[in-house]
Amino acid sequence: MFQENVQILWNKKIGPSYYCIGLTCHEGYGMAKPGQFIMLRLPAKTAPFLRRPFSIHRIITTDDRATGIELLYKVVGDGTDKLSRCRQGDSADILGPLGNGFSVFDNYQRIAIVAGGIGVAPMLFLAIALQTKGVDLSKCTVFLGGNSTDDLLCRDDFNRLGIRTHVTTDDGSAGDQCFVTHPLEMALEKNRADIIYACGPMEMLKCVVGIAAKHKIPCQISIETIMACGMGACLGCAVEKKDDASIYMHACMDGPVFEADALKFN
Amino acid sequence: MTAKPNTRIDIGGLELKNPVMTASGTFGYGREFADLIDLNRLGAIIVKGLSLEPSKGNPPLRIVETRCGMLNAIGLENVGLEAFVKGKIPFLQKLTTPILVNIYGKTKEEYAELAARLDDIEAISGIEVNISCPNVKAGGAAFGAYPQTAAEVVRAVRSKTTKPLVVKLSPNVTDIAEIARSVEAAGADSVSLINTITGMAIDIESRRPKLANITGGLSGPAIKPIALRMVWQVAQSVKIPVIGVGGIMNAKDALEFLIAGAAAVQIGTANFINPRATLDVIEGIESYLIEKEISDISEIIGSLETNQIIS
Ligand SMILES: Cc1cc2nc3c(=O)[nH]c(=O)nc-3n(C[C@H](O)[C@H](O)[C@H](O)COP(=O)(O)OP(=O)(O)OC[C@H]3O[C@@H](n4cnc5c(N)ncnc54)[C@H](O)[C@@H]3O)c2cc1C
Ligand SMILES: Cc1cc2nc3c(=O)[nH]c(=O)nc-3n(C[C@H](O)[C@H](O)[C@H](O)COP(=O)(O)O)c2cc1C
Ligand code: FES
Repeated sequence: MFQENVQILWNKKIGPSYYCIGLTCHEGYGMAKPGQFIMLRLPAKTAPFLRRPFSIHRIITTDDRATGIELLYKVVGDGTDKLSRCRQGDSADILGPLGNGFSVFDNYQRIAIVAGGIGVAPMLFLAIALQTKGVDLSKCTVFLGGNSTDDLLCRDDFNRLGIRTHVTTDDGSAGDQCFVTHPLEMALEKNRADIIYACGPMEMLKCVVGIAAKHKIPCQISIETIMACGMGACLGCAVEKKDDASIYMHACMDGPVFEADALKFN
Repeated sequence: MTAKPNTRIDIGGLELKNPVMTASGTFGYGREFADLIDLNRLGAIIVKGLSLEPSKGNPPLRIVETRCGMLNAIGLENVGLEAFVKGKIPFLQKLTTPILVNIYGKTKEEYAELAARLDDIEAISGIEVNISCPNVKAGGAAFGAYPQTAAEVVRAVRSKTTKPLVVKLSPNVTDIAEIARSVEAAGADSVSLINTITGMAIDIESRRPKLANITGGLSGPAIKPIALRMVWQVAQSVKIPVIGVGGIMNAKDALEFLIAGAAAVQIGTANFINPRATLDVIEGIESYLIEKEISDISEIIGSLETNQIIS
């Protein structure tokens, strides 16, 4: 884990409220796992008060050494708005890599990745990590869901890795007009998957977890909670455990990636 | 060049190499920060509030960001005494920094038993008695709200331990100085203040409280002026050392507390924003002393000049 003041390499708008930001980082990020996150703060800003969590979208490497990280973010409030106004050369304070990432094994063949909206952020890193592990991505499908076509990100990136994408939108502006879990279920009925990875809104995750349980497929999900510290110090990120009401788990330490059957959904 | 100023200080029997401690509940069990800072540079580490039995804490949502601060209603989630001794002490005892354990109980007997059990552990340098947590229903702040009950808890704890006793006071009272005097008489070696100030936040869409606990404790820069005023008042009311807590983000903030009369400070919420905050404060205090050519930190403690005769 590192706390460092880093330089912004780029901060590109990639959609109506979506941005992609590149940051320099410690070489140690070469060991980061997909699903891990950072806590970011803009220096000299008194608001927002707390750091903000963001998943690592991609590791930037130069000669096989990690030299930067890329984040994909959506402007939803004050913190992300201020971040979107930063320019190349500005500085940011980052703390990371934090949390537990996705488990990646080389014996997976059929893989389903499900991403709702900005939930796609950690999934590109995941796909790259699977490829690095030696997994043949031709049997991997990414199910991307969003409100409209503007919310479907990274399609080209996945296609470049040789991964099929299946898109759905709520308004029908791209792909099928349905929830992303619908084509997932159809696909699984035809061909079982070895693993399902998912990140997105809680409602979507709940549905994915239900589908995984029904088909008895291992499933890992990445969740979001409010976080003050991101490193196990504040205990603010409590999440309910499925089979044990006597203790809470903590999203920043035990997660943000959890085995699907570990969590209790309300 | 001036020689390195002396920052060593004695807080009611606690020998600290500098006056900067971590505030309970904001620094985990120390280990969480080991990758980021040299823990042996800290004046003292105060670990998360401990109860006899493991405690689950409050349901989420537990945290709300506010302007210049945050509300928390963690509800003293902790691993309990046994797991603490087995799981956390082995790491902590390797440090040279004094370790203080913040304790709370639902009854004064629970406080006393905790103190008795901790008294046997050599690795623990002192006990901070939390009679001020606003986020638990029984115990906690209920004891700290009245001079009589506060003193009863302190007497119960005092009878079970010879370790230095810090008593952590609540700001959610009418007269904090009165409570401070009462715990001093009951055997406290020092007092720390303030714990968080009770507050709340509402979601106007759902018209529901944002925190599952409805109310929570406010911390961070928003509470600093209040904490400072209370430290100043208490420092004039008791003879035992006062430890200043509340909204300290940097060395300037810490120096204000020292000048107001605090013999040491605790850094809380700042650890979340800047995990190096404690070290920055230590370095900043040292630079200040050097710059002002002050050779010993004790010279600034309580050095506030008011031109006012205080009765
Ligand atoms: C582990 C983790 C990884 C994340 N990764 C990404 C990512 O890669 N890209 C991305 O765009 N976002 C990500 N998020 C969500 C991101 O942290 C929030 O969108 C951000 O903190 C909002 O800050 P703000 O100041 O712009 O909005 P605020 O003004 O704070 O809030 C605006 C809205 O966002 C909600 N919100 C605030 N903080 C969080 C939070 N921590 N989690 C969920 N909702 C929140 C608020 O309830 C409110 O409705 C992640 C969150 C977590 C916990
Ligand atoms: C998340 C959180 C958890 C806390 N837990 C405890 C605790 O277990 N025991 C305690 O005595 N105080 C606890 N406190 C209070 C702090 O130790 C401190 O008194 C208070 O936050 C004010 O200082 P600050 O503004 O520097 O944070 C907690 C505060 C926060 C923010
Ligand atoms: S965010 Fe602080 S403990 Fe998880």
